[in-house]
Amino acid sequence: MERSVLLKRILWTVILLSVLLAASILLGILMGSTGIGIKRALLSLTSSRENDPMLHTIIWQIRFPRVLLAALVGAALSMGGLVFQALLRNPLAEPYILGISSGSGIGAIIGILAGLSRFPGVSFTAFAGSIVTLLLLFLMSSGKAILKSNSLLLSGVMVNSFCAAFIMFLISITQDARLHNIIFWLMGDLSMINLGQVGILAAILTPCFFLLFCFSNQMNLLLVGKEMAQSMGVNIRIVVPMLLLITSLMVSATVSFCGPIGFVGLVMPHLLRLIFGPDHRVLAPACILGGGTYMVFCDLLARTVPDQGEMPAGVITAMIGAPLFIILLKRSGR
Amino acid sequence: MTILHLSSIAHCLFVFVRRFIFRDSHRLTFTFLIAFVSFSAISPSLVWSTQMVDEFGRKVTVPDDPRRIVSLAPSITEIIFALNQESRLKGVTQFSDFPAEASKLPSVGSYVHLDLERIVALKPDLCIATKDGNPIKVIKMLEALHIPIYVVHPKNLELIMETIIGIGKILHADDRAKAIVEDMQFRVNTVKSLVLKAPHRPRVFFQIGISPLVSAGTPTHIHELITLAGGRNVSEGPVPYPRYSHEQILIMAPDIFIISSMARGEQFARVRDEWARWKDIPAVKNDRVYVVDSNLFDRPTPRLVDALELLATMIHPGLFEALK
Repeated sequence: MERSVLLKRILWTVILLSVLLAASILLGILMGSTGIGIKRALLSLTSSRENDPMLHTIIWQIRFPRVLLAALVGAALSMGGLVFQALLRNPLAEPYILGISSGSGIGAIIGILAGLSRFPGVSFTAFAGSIVTLLLLFLMSSGKAILKSNSLLLSGVMVNSFCAAFIMFLISITQDARLHNIIFWLMGDLSMINLGQVGILAAILTPCFFLLFCFSNQMNLLLVGKEMAQSMGVNIRIVVPMLLLITSLMVSATVSFCGPIGFVGLVMPHLLRLIFGPDHRVLAPACILGGGTYMVFCDLLARTVPDQGEMPAGVITAMIGAPLFIILLKRSGR
Repeated sequence: MTILHLSSIAHCLFVFVRRFIFRDSHRLTFTFLIAFVSFSAISPSLVWSTQMVDEFGRKVTVPDDPRRIVSLAPSITEIIFALNQESRLKGVTQFSDFPAEASKLPSVGSYVHLDLERIVALKPDLCIATKDGNPIKVIKMLEALHIPIYVVHPKNLELIMETIIGIGKILHADDRAKAIVEDMQFRVNTVKSLVLKAPHRPRVFFQIGISPLVSAGTPTHIHELITLAGGRNVSEGPVPYPRYSHEQILIMAPDIFIISSMARGEQFARVRDEWARWKDIPAVKNDRVYVVDSNLFDRPTPRLVDALELLATMIHPGLFEALK
């Protein structure tokens, strides 16, 4: 009986958020920097290519891949946040705040400087970077003295500043035109993507999403505590490393494609938890769809707000996310 | 509709006659054939084009008579204006400010961070990019969108002249291009012959921007200009844009200190005062610290010869009084 109620809830959540995501994607491909009216763009969507080939190219070859990329990245980062929050039992955990994003950023920059291709070269170095930071993080916070949950966050902040310094070091020894690319990439840049690359990212992320959804009940139990979860039949030795590995893979894949974009994994899980409650079996699909929607909107703002050129999407997410982090921190202190 | 057809016929005729006059004989028969076909079909969408190899070594299909060019760097915009072909230009990049009319054209973002959507919206029949300036990703993306993109690589004076000739050919401004290059060549030779009379080659430090201390190494056109103007570039070496500390500059002891910057007036005075502290540098002691317009020195355009002349008058003021 309870199972069917749950299924119903999941179904309704998915339907509601899918509609929202579809609407945001539609809006995302209808609006852009050229200021072509939404009406004309809508007309072009429904008519054939011959009517307005220029607009057709803009919509399907420039905006569409980009909007899809934003949706995938938003979904992956929100899921990353959700998993870390459950694993560490800390509402403030998030791949960017913990330094995982910057760690894979170092890996990615090394890959870019070595002249590797975006995939699999840079993706692999980014993944290696994120695994190394993850290990470092756990090594640092696993001592007896610092078992409090905030110690991990503090370690994360330090890992983040160390990574930032290392990235600055790499930038300062770079002397050529790649510098501009790296700087834009560092701010979280979604432009210059084609459908093929989006396909590769989707092929990496979709199995991760599926696996994480399968683990969602274990995440519920982990929230109660590791010992408790173990006594309720969760094999901690397998589940925890698996979750960490999958999340690192997701985060490093998004980082290698569009740079470290922060705070998405903080904003979305919180918002969705407020709306849909704490059950991860509902939250996991909600994060995938809702995170995608959020990122598509952030990217839309980044594309349309500036008069000249565009802003990196990471600027928008940080401007929304960082104040929220402080609010949450104040609340959790009470 | 008839007007459109008429203009299309007129256009065909124009290209045909031009081909005939310039005796482009190897393509004449082909042109004739195409002209005949398009006269009968009267299709305005038919664009004639030629396979070319650009300065990047890529094969590009360049339209015979490009009418909607988007320039992807300020230097390319300047060259097109210098060739008097600005009517073909439909889009430029941010900071395309020379000549002043250029900034009135629609902008497609800065040359390192281009806005693809704006480029496509201008419906270009040709984009012209630079190999060193524009990210290669943009070139690849435009290729994928089937927009012809001609890449230039004007990294020294000789190649700049080649680029001008090359763009002149595409825009049917061969004569104008030749005239510009001849004028450049003449002025470069004048500087060269005057420099021969110089008793010595002063040591020059060329600073790019106000901070940090970055200079230009041997593989740059700045080095070439300094050498041609009769100076010795103290930051010569394999690194294109080496960084320095104040200490290192004191040791290098340049006779002439040139700062290329957008700074003018008060800001310039402040930079000079900062350097005035270092009395041990000969350039400071002898009051030979100059600020020059960075746009003049950074952009590979015909104006680079103006930069050369300016540099020569700074390095050898006695020799070049006549040039002023």
